[in-house]
Amino acid sequence: MHELGILYHVVDQVLNIVEENQLETVEAIVLQVGELSTVVPRYLYSCYPATVVGTMLEDTKLEVEILPANALCHNCGKVFNALSNHGTCPFCSAKDHELLSGREFMIKEIRAY
Amino acid sequence: MDREIRILEIKESVFEDNNKDADRLREDLKGQGTFLLNLMSSPGAGKTTTLIQTINALKDEINIAIMEADIDSDVDAQTISETGVPVIQLHTGGMCHLDADMTRQGIHGLDAANSDLIILENVGNLVCPAEFDTGATKNAMILSIPEGDDKPLKYPLMFEICHALIINKIDALPLFDFDMEAFIERAKKINPDIAIFPISAKTGEGVDAWVDWLRTEVKLYQE
Repeated sequence: MHELGILYHVVDQVLNIVEENQLETVEAIVLQVGELSTVVPRYLYSCYPATVVGTMLEDTKLEVEILPANALCHNCGKVFNALSNHGTCPFCSAKDHELLSGREFMIKEIRAY
Repeated sequence: MDREIRILEIKESVFEDNNKDADRLREDLKGQGTFLLNLMSSPGAGKTTTLIQTINALKDEINIAIMEADIDSDVDAQTISETGVPVIQLHTGGMCHLDADMTRQGIHGLDAANSDLIILENVGNLVCPAEFDTGATKNAMILSIPEGDDKPLKYPLMFEICHALIINKIDALPLFDFDMEAFIERAKKINPDIAIFPISAKTGEGVDAWVDWLRTEVKLYQE
């Protein structure tokens, strides 16, 4: 359940952006979460209302985009999903690979007035 | 007048603010010559016992102070205070990790500006503390034998960010199916530079090598 603590950081960061850009209303916050990040989207949604209560983001929607755990096979050079293939290349069965994406946890954008 | 909606592209890691703050803290600590060690592990891996062994081996040579971070309680701080070194208990109030700002507040509360070494005993957890840079000079983790040799596969980030890995409770090896060779290979695959110290905090076996590493790191840092 570390999503709650992490969301407080998100809210702080967004409030800073609001102040810097003198925004009046934030309609939505869009986060990007990698499949291999330690953040569970379902828990983000359930913790979110508690972290915005009493702030100007109380009516702001939270959207979460999932980024795939893409890996580059060092043997055959193809890209595969490391999570669903358990780290083994489905094309050549090699295990040696590097992760191209999947660990991210980013604030992608905010939509605001 | 209709208001026009704006899309602000942020593309910023959620950990960015904390990372910057941690860099500032690291710089401040460097200025005062204080080495901050961030010690992490699962609950029950033997952080406090290892810490007491470490304190007793080093306290006559260098000024040590301890920060104990817990969600609640001051059990660990009481145990540590018996060694005679300054200790402060930090409560995270339900949070599963410490961030750089909480660490800074703890250091101020400790009032130990002349410390050569501050050891932060982080909240027992292999997930969140790995994601939040505390501003520490070096990170160390303890993995105990009963936890199993598969942990580098399950918590890769923790193994990736640590400079030192203490394998504790080696006196319990005969009781568990812990494949030491496979474990070290898994850890090294994630982090080839990690320094590994098999110890028993209970019997004291192997503790010297760990203490030597820490002593050398503090000396190099202060030069």
